[in-house]
Amino acid sequence: MANHKTVDYQAEKGIYYKVLFGLLALTALTFIQPEMFLTQYTFGMQMLIGTVKAWIILMYYMHLKGEVLIGWTVIFAVFIVVFFFSIVMIDVSNFQYADVSHITSPAQ
Amino acid sequence: MSHEYVPEIAVDREGKEHVVQGWQGDYEGGKLGFWLFMLTEVLMFGAMFMTLTYYFTLHHADFIKASSELDRTLGGVNTVVLLFSALTMGLGLLKMRSGDVKGAKLMIWLTILLAAVFLGVKAQEWTNDYHEGIFLGLDSMQAGGGKSFGEILFFGMYFTMTGLHGFHIIIGIGLMLWLLKRINSGKVSPDHHILHFNIALYWDLVHLIWVFVFPYFYMTGAGVIHG
Amino acid sequence: MSKSYFDETHCAFGHPKSTFMQWMLTVDHKRIGIMYAVVMFTFFFVAVAAALTMRFELFAPGQQFIDAHTFNQAFTLHGVVMVFLFIIPGIPAVFGNIVMPLMIGAKDVSFPRLNWFTFWLYIVGCIVALSSLFNFNIADGSLVFNFADTGWTFYAPYSLNTDTNVVTTLVAAFILGMASILTGLNFLVTIHRLRAPGMDFFKMPLFVWGIYATAWIQLLATPVIGITLVLALLEKYFGIGIFDPAKGGDPVLFQHLFWIYSHPAVYLMILPAFGIMSEIIPAFSRREIFGYRTIALSSAAIAGVGYLVWGHHLFTSGMSDLAKTMFSFLTFFVAIPTGIKFYDWIATMYKGKIILDTPMLWALGTIITFAIGGLSGVTIAMIGADIHLQDTYYTIAHFHYAMLGGVVFLFFAGIHYWFPLVFGKMYSEAKAKFAFYTLFIGFNLLWFPMFIAGYLGMPRRYFDYLPEFHIYHQISFWGAIIFVSGLIFMFYTLIQGMRNGKPTTPNPWNATTLEWHLPSSPPPLENHTKVPYVDFRPYEYHHGQPVVKFDENMKRID
Ligand code: HEM
Ligand SMILES: [Cu+2]
Repeated sequence: MANHKTVDYQAEKGIYYKVLFGLLALTALTFIQPEMFLTQYTFGMQMLIGTVKAWIILMYYMHLKGEVLIGWTVIFAVFIVVFFFSIVMIDVSNFQYADVSHITSPAQ
Repeated sequence: MSHEYVPEIAVDREGKEHVVQGWQGDYEGGKLGFWLFMLTEVLMFGAMFMTLTYYFTLHHADFIKASSELDRTLGGVNTVVLLFSALTMGLGLLKMRSGDVKGAKLMIWLTILLAAVFLGVKAQEWTNDYHEGIFLGLDSMQAGGGKSFGEILFFGMYFTMTGLHGFHIIIGIGLMLWLLKRINSGKVSPDHHILHFNIALYWDLVHLIWVFVFPYFYMTGAGVIHG
Repeated sequence: MSKSYFDETHCAFGHPKSTFMQWMLTVDHKRIGIMYAVVMFTFFFVAVAAALTMRFELFAPGQQFIDAHTFNQAFTLHGVVMVFLFIIPGIPAVFGNIVMPLMIGAKDVSFPRLNWFTFWLYIVGCIVALSSLFNFNIADGSLVFNFADTGWTFYAPYSLNTDTNVVTTLVAAFILGMASILTGLNFLVTIHRLRAPGMDFFKMPLFVWGIYATAWIQLLATPVIGITLVLALLEKYFGIGIFDPAKGGDPVLFQHLFWIYSHPAVYLMILPAFGIMSEIIPAFSRREIFGYRTIALSSAAIAGVGYLVWGHHLFTSGMSDLAKTMFSFLTFFVAIPTGIKFYDWIATMYKGKIILDTPMLWALGTIITFAIGGLSGVTIAMIGADIHLQDTYYTIAHFHYAMLGGVVFLFFAGIHYWFPLVFGKMYSEAKAKFAFYTLFIGFNLLWFPMFIAGYLGMPRRYFDYLPEFHIYHQISFWGAIIFVSGLIFMFYTLIQGMRNGKPTTPNPWNATTLEWHLPSSPPPLENHTKVPYVDFRPYEYHHGQPVVKFDENMKRID
């Protein structure tokens, strides 16, 4: 396990603090948004902020930047999850037996 | 398996030499392997989010109502705690890589401390929920116990997913303690730090999951006033 | 005599003296593969016994040997063992372990200790599965047979309400899933990191491609079933209502989650089997494989598209019409890369010098049986036809043609092909060929009538039937008897060969891939003496002779 250069702590710690502040700011945004703006889209906004945070964590804290092979495997996995999501959501939102179903409200 | 590993050389037809990659001491391989493992976690939580969203679609209003009943203050505190723990973990790895083993150990201890705080807050939160009649297995959480299907599902998934996340935190603490032991016995060192690297990755993943778990459960119903 | 991997080994820890402990602790990929094979085939015979019990019961209408409830348990036992204990670890666990590292010139897999751990995780899963067979009654010390009666699919809500041992079975499936994930992970890293210098992806043998595509499925599909089983357990104990409609859950969601894994799982079974086919066909046609790239990429395509078609199991479950249509179309698409492979194999044989040794016989037989299995699959991918055929014996016959006549047959082909490599000895060709013909005839007698019975309306999972189906079940019964006799004879022949077969040379089939260029047979502990530089394609033949030759230091001398 010899193939890496030694790193300079002082030079690289700056980025960690910058990322921290970015994430803190986004967390603050998480709390402000439902009270302040686009309140009818709270769910979507929250997921959007989450995605931005996730992106930052992946790129900087998890060092995904510059990783070609690993980057593609992550993209592949996320694509599959998104695909599962979309199809199942298409199915459930086109649920055609809602009128005769007892799933959505307790049976009487 | 403890004998010293000497990389082999393969010779092609022109007589050029090529180093053969062995499984021993394969830094890139170790990294790739751990990422692949993390992808399985992504799919596991992905499937749970899918289940959650499925019922969010079916019981929209119930979910929003139930979400507004969760304790956003404690949840927010935990979000920040986890954020800082990600920082200490990252700095610890940086220190290790730059040769400061002592500093690295300190940072790992700090991370463990923050993780424990997270669990403490979580325990407090669950206790509060319990006293309000919201907990897995309580009568008030069964069909016909006064809550709608949607609310039961929401809280059920809430305990399932935050519980599983908490379980990952506990595992993480265990891993960090093990890492400290390996550092002390010299098995993990500045130029032999794949284990440290991977455990830091794991911790970031645990953080990453929370980045979605938190808003999904706590913030979906935020800003809505219920009579 | 040089030392082989039977004589010495590396261990996960310690340096045990006894041979037994050396096997238990071994990290050598070849030994681990053999141990998988032993355990898996033991369970295979358990499942065959359960199947035979069902066939006896189905010999005549009405009840003869077992009652309806026991019949339900019998097909569950058969399905669970065949699927989770036998065919999912399957070819990757055995030949992925034994030959994949040899094929790419590696000394072992990337994480040998993890490999050892995975094997034992698999054993733990098996033990948990066994523990769900019986209920132990403390009061009078009796054992009551109480295996799950849900079918291997564990559909909710019944699986959440039955009193049989579903919970332990689910836990077992979860643990076996973990083992499967770790195997896939190990292989992916191995294939990415440990290929011999010069061997790029398009110089890998096609079996390695099969294992590679499979490993992605193991890695990314298995977690979904894992978490589904966990949710089912939580539902059972806490009544969250995730899958039970009486509590607000949707059983269709369970089916989605279950098949999101279990459909890719069938490709997980067949892709390495196709890999074996792609090894055998060129070796016994003495011709370079036709369309190497199309076969390699179609494995990847099958794995990829295979993720997207699970819904064809839900056509009658109350899925939305839109989703049904999408899934029907997507399912047809899988047939394309599969078809490409078939044409490539046949084109390889065209003008080849075909040698009908036992492995080749198995491969050719499979071309027939899998074609039937695959094409009948296309018929039930059509929504209209499937409404009629779902849950009939037509479907059962389809997947037995695909699983038994495809995967298991090719597994047997692989066993006969790599047998001399693994043991350094040869079985009796004549007997092995006889076993093949018996099994092939028995198999078709066993399953073909079931297509007809199913088409005429014989439902699956029934222990009784109308008199009009009698004839089909009778033929099927005799087929089963022939089949099982052939099975026993085949294993007898193999064990004979293992005990006192003739010693072989390292390359008895004149094959070209790296696993046939080992210094001795059986191979030494750390495989190739020297790692070769790979600047050649995997199946180069010229006038029926292998092109690439090595000296004892693995330098090319042709
Ligand atoms: C030895 C040859 C075999 C025989 C005689 C046999 C026979 C049977 C029979 C009679 C059934 C019950 C059908 C019903 O009543 O619904 C069945 C179901 C099944 N078989 Fe086989 N089988 C054999 C091999 C295999 C193999 C190799 C697999 C590998 C995957 C397999 C997988 C299954 C599955 C998954 C089911 C469905 C179980 C369920 O309904 O839950 N079988 N088999
Ligand atoms: Cu399918």
